[in-house]
Amino acid sequence: MPTIGESQRMTPDRHEFHRLGSSHVLLTGATGFLGQATLEKLLSSHPETRVSVLIRPRPNQPAQRRFDGLLRKPVFRRLREQLGEEELRRIAAERVTVIEGDLGEVTLPGDIDVVVHGASTVSFDPPIDEAFRTNVSGVVTLYEALQRAGADPHVVHVSTAYVAGVRKGVVPEDRLDHTVDWRTELEGALATRADVERDSRRPEVLRKSVSRAQGEHRKAGPQSVVAAAEEARQAWVTDRLVDYGRARAQSLGWPDVYTFTKALGERAAEEMWGERRLSIVRPAIVESSLRHPHPGWIDGYKMADPLIIAYGRGILPEFPGLPDSVVDIIPVDHVVNATLAVAAAPPERGTPAYFHVGSGSRNPLSFRGLYENVRDYFRKHPMPAGERGHIRVPQWRFPGSRQVEMMLSGSERATAVAERALLRLPASGKTREWMTAVHRQQTNLDFLRRYADLYQAYTQAEVIYDDSRTHALHRTIPPELVDEFGFDPSVIDWGHYLQEVHSPSVTELMRGFSRGRGGSRRTAAPALPERTDIAAVFDLEGTIVASNLIESYLWARLSSLPRSQWSGELADLARSLPRYLRAERRDRGDFVRAFLRRYEGADMAGLRDLVDDTLGDALLQRVMPEAVRRIRAHRAAGHKTILITGTVDVFVRPLAGLFDEVVASRMHTRDGVLTGYLDSPPLVDEARAAWLRRHAADTGIDLDGSYAYADSYSDRPLLEAVGNPGAVNPDPSLYRHAKRKHWRIYEWGAHTRGRGDVLLDTITGTVSAR
Amino acid sequence: MSRPGFVLDVDERTPPLLMHQGEGFRLERLPLGAKVIYPPDSLPGIRNVDAAIKHALLNPHGTDPLPELLTPGMRLTIVFDDLSLPLPPMQTPDVRQRIIEQVLEMAAAKGVDDVELIAGNALHRRMTPAELRRTVGDRVFQAFFPEHLKNHDAEDHDNLLHMGKTKHGEDVEINRRAAESDLIVYVNITLTAMSGGAKSVSVGLASYKSLKHHHNVHTLRHSNSFNDPPNSAMHHSYERMKGLIDEHVKVFTIETTLNNETFPSSMGFLNKREWEWNLRDQASYVAVKRANELLPAKTRRRIWQSTAAPYGVTGVHAGLQSEVHPITLGNVHRQQLTEVNGQSDVAIYGLPYICPYNVNSVMNPILVMSLGLGYFFNLYKNKPIVRQGGVAIFYHPVPNEFHPVHHPSYIDFFEEILTESTDPVLLETKYEEQFATDPWYIQLYRNSYAYHGVHPFYMWYWGAHALEHLGDVIFVGGNRKTTARMGFRSATTLADALEMAKDTVGSSPSITYQHNPPLTLADVR
Repeated sequence: MPTIGESQRMTPDRHEFHRLGSSHVLLTGATGFLGQATLEKLLSSHPETRVSVLIRPRPNQPAQRRFDGLLRKPVFRRLREQLGEEELRRIAAERVTVIEGDLGEVTLPGDIDVVVHGASTVSFDPPIDEAFRTNVSGVVTLYEALQRAGADPHVVHVSTAYVAGVRKGVVPEDRLDHTVDWRTELEGALATRADVERDSRRPEVLRKSVSRAQGEHRKAGPQSVVAAAEEARQAWVTDRLVDYGRARAQSLGWPDVYTFTKALGERAAEEMWGERRLSIVRPAIVESSLRHPHPGWIDGYKMADPLIIAYGRGILPEFPGLPDSVVDIIPVDHVVNATLAVAAAPPERGTPAYFHVGSGSRNPLSFRGLYENVRDYFRKHPMPAGERGHIRVPQWRFPGSRQVEMMLSGSERATAVAERALLRLPASGKTREWMTAVHRQQTNLDFLRRYADLYQAYTQAEVIYDDSRTHALHRTIPPELVDEFGFDPSVIDWGHYLQEVHSPSVTELMRGFSRGRGGSRRTAAPALPERTDIAAVFDLEGTIVASNLIESYLWARLSSLPRSQWSGELADLARSLPRYLRAERRDRGDFVRAFLRRYEGADMAGLRDLVDDTLGDALLQRVMPEAVRRIRAHRAAGHKTILITGTVDVFVRPLAGLFDEVVASRMHTRDGVLTGYLDSPPLVDEARAAWLRRHAADTGIDLDGSYAYADSYSDRPLLEAVGNPGAVNPDPSLYRHAKRKHWRIYEWGAHTRGRGDVLLDTITGTVSAR
Repeated sequence: MSRPGFVLDVDERTPPLLMHQGEGFRLERLPLGAKVIYPPDSLPGIRNVDAAIKHALLNPHGTDPLPELLTPGMRLTIVFDDLSLPLPPMQTPDVRQRIIEQVLEMAAAKGVDDVELIAGNALHRRMTPAELRRTVGDRVFQAFFPEHLKNHDAEDHDNLLHMGKTKHGEDVEINRRAAESDLIVYVNITLTAMSGGAKSVSVGLASYKSLKHHHNVHTLRHSNSFNDPPNSAMHHSYERMKGLIDEHVKVFTIETTLNNETFPSSMGFLNKREWEWNLRDQASYVAVKRANELLPAKTRRRIWQSTAAPYGVTGVHAGLQSEVHPITLGNVHRQQLTEVNGQSDVAIYGLPYICPYNVNSVMNPILVMSLGLGYFFNLYKNKPIVRQGGVAIFYHPVPNEFHPVHHPSYIDFFEEILTESTDPVLLETKYEEQFATDPWYIQLYRNSYAYHGVHPFYMWYWGAHALEHLGDVIFVGGNRKTTARMGFRSATTLADALEMAKDTVGSSPSITYQHNPPLTLADVR
């Protein structure tokens, strides 16, 4: 059987099957999905071939270590079992050279016979500059590196079938038919970031993001606002760059920046290597293996898989797509075999060869067929749903993309409105329940939106990729080798592949996850470590006690006023309430300041007595026993317990015994009479975090090991200052944040007495007669 | 003379019988052949209580009349039973008020200036000013509160006096003011046979250091029952302590007993035997039950908690405790004692909404346990009404409710200690000390209105004898989670409960229902 190598510069015979023999193959993108499979195949079925892999080092992970890690991955499982761990490593060390570095800077060996260029971006909608950098600049640097090394290999350039762009009918295996100049586009794309960055700093844009951040984060303090605004600006830049990419791609007839840049990458390759030996392989949608290295092998989730899983979890009620459009799926082992067969059969110099690797022309799978097989799979093997049995999958009706789009955007609007409404509601168990529902709905919708946008081109394609050249190559394989090296898509039985091979493989991970979560959804709080160098910080109102400033004011005021004056006092309070609420929404500190003015003229000693006699007890009735238990548990573990509150110090006297440190507001007095002013600014939002950091630095507290508990979004900075934040009966904003950050959420107050009862008891003196 | 107590045998003609079930009640049809223990009919109350008080003070047993014990310049301390007695609270004026007023008049007449009033609340929560006022009356309250009318503070170590140890090595430590007085006048209500007598001063004014000698698992397991002082190790300990106290300070005891008029006339059916209900009783049963069920939970509790009993006073006796108490016990027995023939396999008790520790408060699961397995189970002389290894069936919803101010240590006991074990001995050895000396609980006991940190343990020990004696405990209508946490089982109906009891007592057990209301002390022969 003829083989090719440095010594045999023979003209390829398209009607003979060639093998790589003792060639030296350079593989880029070896750590990727296709790269892993190619490397495995080279090691397992091409025993004489030498391989060089180009691997970029990662921080703390040199290329060699990454390569060793690769050998431990599932793709090598079969080989490991056949040869044994040791032997595989020995063979790899003998046959594979790891070249560390980036294409731009490395020196490639001069004796390379074949390059399989598989490195590419995996994302469909990266920012435009990133897409160009990987898919276009990457190609250029490869050829420059090859030229530098003085090598003259046959380059197999892995592209994608979708470079053909948005079109209908049969696409031939040929040079792309467009006149776009890749150099101009590359230049433009790389310059875009600077433009967008500049744009993002325009005052109008900045003001908008600051004002939005203020709306959402004002309660958490100024630093949180600016941090959120800057984060928003960066997100805006990324979004813009993605949009630039997509818009440019679509304006030229490609569905997304990925296919656009891959198309320009082909052009670059043709220009730089077209005079030598160049083959371009264009796989369609690459999915799990049909047979090799083992059926169902896949590395992570590929294009169709998020949809399959989402469908299995019951969150895809519909999807835009034409039921009769062809979903061109091809198992990865077919692509690998085709690529290596191409690699072994170089074209003549100056005439690049093109190969489509897909199933669309020889064994088409319709979108409906895909759906039905996946549906049947989930009907037979539904996903577990924790304690609630199994998930029932929805039935699609393919209403058309317009309908789906309407449904989707309608739901998006509804969810956004619901969330905005909920964020304005007070904290309660019910609000949190609703928030959870909205949160889940939103995640699902975001998901759906993302994929509906991305995949429209792929699920509505009315295009067939002709693969006669690829098939002709397949036909050269002697019958006895077809099993090992073949790539004829007509052997795929879609029912078998989708239901027995692919779906079980991609759902395995999720199933394991669900099982692990199973039973009890609420995991018990881990035991507190016994340490003396950490603190447990508690907010007061809403966290330890269910009452608030207004409530304690009413206790104080009404129990010392004759009943005849109650209605006047209450009416006055009611009149001022909107003002207080506005202040509270604006800034917690403003509210504290505004409200405490009501104490103007009160006698300090009298207030202290009142607290000791009556109000302290009212406060204890509104205490959440779980909070007290938690505080005491921290104390028992040796932690320093700290109370941080904007409430006036006299009111917290009954609880002071629980804390090593109480940080409360102090009211200014003149001759024993309260002036209604505070001695110092109230400790709210970021001031709390700042105080805590300072205190920790002064007293040697390890904040990473410390705990904090609070209920309001304004305490976000405080909670973020410690390693173990806990949201107690959180308000909707904090709840949303805690959910996103996977903070522990506590529901406290099971035995706390009601607001009305305590107020009534206190002012009518049932608790203590006055 | 009212009708004596008796034991009813349930037959075809027996109507459904009334039982308490927390903040509610029901009529339950018991299996044929079941026995039901009724107390004697409510005794007539003394018509002129004030006169009876005066007579008692002037004609005490074993000592001089009170006026002769009072001298100018002396230190007089009047101690009275706290909120835990009687149950439910009595309609005002409280008999304690009537007694205290007369004592104070006599003291004033004799020129006694140094008078202090102390509620004998031991480790119970402090009485609120309103509760004190209700007990001693407006006049006394206004004259003495807050400087000279106080709650006993068992954690105020400067104001405790360690008097020494009994011959059994038991510490006797009581309120210093009382201990250093020239005379203690103790004003008591003996509702059940366990109260009064030596218990009054030695328990009501004591500290944890002293109380732990008798409030422990060992003593309670050897108090069979604690309502039968001669057979109660607990009372033996009280007596020894009382002996030591008597060497230091003179105590003039005034003991009172009440009849069984537990409920106001609107709920008169609660005090009557079911087959004697007239049309009005039946109508009011239906009306009250229906109204009770329709009320919001909070209002329902408020109404039950504000129910005051129109008790009649059946006896007022004063003098030396050792001479007074036997007479008092006689009065209690006259009202509550019913002779029962033999033990049964299953005992049934309907548990009410109130116990000594949830007046104006919430009946939490621990209190339900102590009410059922402590107070009700121990309402016997000689032998329990249920045999060793038998089954007790209680009616109570056992809701998972706690009063955050009154019972903070109970909440922690329930959430953190009972999840570890329900074995009283293990809890006592491993956790009691920690709860008893916890500074936070002590602060709440002293400055707020919390029961002492150790109190939930005492409640658990209260049931230790029953836990040892019984083969199984089932709560009809009980919350599954709370009953399970305490190591008990819950059933929806009596039939289910009896089905569940089958494993322990077979399919045709003998059954005894200790009827309540009103209170009955079973003398099991």
